[in-house]
Amino acid sequence: MIDFSGFEMPLWYRGIQTECLAVRNQAGIFDVSHMGRAFIKGPDSEAFLNYLTPNDVSKLKPGKAHYSVLCNERGGVVDDVVLLRVDEDVFLLVFNAGNRGKDLKWIEAHRKGYDVDVRHVSDEVAMIAIQGPKAREVVESACRSDVSSVGRFECGNLNFNGIDCIASGTGYTGEDGLEIFVPDATLENPGSAVKVWDTLLAMGEGEGLTPCGLGARDVLRLEAGMCLYGNELKESITPFEAGIGFVVKLDKGVDFIGRKALQEQKLQGMPRIRVGVKLLERGVPRKGNSILHNGEVIGEVTSGTYSPILKCGIAMGYVKPEFREPGVKVELKIRERYVNGEVSSMPFYDVTVYGWRRIRTNHK
Amino acid sequence: MQVGEYQVREGLYYTKEHDWVKLEGGLCRVGISDFAQKSLHEIVYAELPKVGLRVKQMESMGTVESVKAVSDVFSPITGEVLEVNEKLSEQPELINRSPYDDGWIAVIKPEKLEEELKNLLDHNGYAKYLEELLKE
Repeated sequence: MIDFSGFEMPLWYRGIQTECLAVRNQAGIFDVSHMGRAFIKGPDSEAFLNYLTPNDVSKLKPGKAHYSVLCNERGGVVDDVVLLRVDEDVFLLVFNAGNRGKDLKWIEAHRKGYDVDVRHVSDEVAMIAIQGPKAREVVESACRSDVSSVGRFECGNLNFNGIDCIASGTGYTGEDGLEIFVPDATLENPGSAVKVWDTLLAMGEGEGLTPCGLGARDVLRLEAGMCLYGNELKESITPFEAGIGFVVKLDKGVDFIGRKALQEQKLQGMPRIRVGVKLLERGVPRKGNSILHNGEVIGEVTSGTYSPILKCGIAMGYVKPEFREPGVKVELKIRERYVNGEVSSMPFYDVTVYGWRRIRTNHK
Repeated sequence: MQVGEYQVREGLYYTKEHDWVKLEGGLCRVGISDFAQKSLHEIVYAELPKVGLRVKQMESMGTVESVKAVSDVFSPITGEVLEVNEKLSEQPELINRSPYDDGWIAVIKPEKLEEELKNLLDHNGYAKYLEELLKE
């Protein structure tokens, strides 16, 4: 067990590698109730969220979800979030555990003039992620209904043993799967969440469903090329630098926090950009390792691990933009050793073999 | 002998950092204990010392890494590294499977063995130390 943003959470249940492989090949289940969650409701909720976040909320239809960020005036990332449009005027914002307090304050500070109701539900709605190529099958048998209505980046209601939950086709592993929001699961009385967890686990046993801890969660998101707040994302880094510029809709027609700064950066260019680095020799990169090119330091590792499916060390870090192309040879300074690697596209894995896209390919 | 779920190999000497040393006719074979490998879990990489390196007692001579953690390997004694377990480069998991045998890390030619053994725990001492540690 480890402490994560004040939550006592398992680093692993059966072993990080075992759990990672289960998610890539069958399915894994994660208790992610540490994540922050807030309902934002009211007649001005769309307008408010369109001002609060750079993605285009007017294009987000009820029953859909999208990835987004909260930006500050400098265009830096206050947090990265997933936004579900549960109903026309009902949104569910999912944010990072470590940023719960900061995000709520940020939302509070900017809601003036908007007719919205913000309800923080992190400690009364549990959150369970189920991810992997078999995840949907397991959820289908657990809720005894078709879950195809909750496709990739869609959201809807699913019922587990009489417990009505919100589900979204999202996750943090690169695999297909669902995230399930279980109501009436307070810290004092989490009974409904335990019931949903147990139902899923029982139904998934035959499919190889494995409970997964934070260790696997971190490796899987790294393999998928996804950012972790505090590592790849912080208030001094913009979405463009982080390679998530797709969440910034400069031409959405309304102003939003950070728009001016982001517009400017789009014209000026970026001082650095997030890249993936794959090691060509043995070694495990870690946060803080220097990234070098021909002996010159060009950046620093923000996250690193060993990938059980690729069987090599992988890392993310920021480098000067001229070194961003996949294949560029780099060295990582891991303690006193210089280890050869190269810039890699992300996800790090072959997307025809792993990840949610392969499922589509198989079904064609 | 067994302390909880951990095996303590008899006849070896141990550091409080969970490294072991086995005396083999004037030479010392070293590795990490069952407790150390179980705490790390699923070792994916071992950075071995170079043959010829002179190491001091309780100085780091390499690292053993799992997916999430890095742990130093401390040399239990002062001396020169004569041999390293090259198999670990390709199969670091040998340390998990066989911490006291196939998962050995290096062979060291000691310089002041007798004097330095006093700083180490014998298997009974290490077992007691582990018991205390597990109580905490």
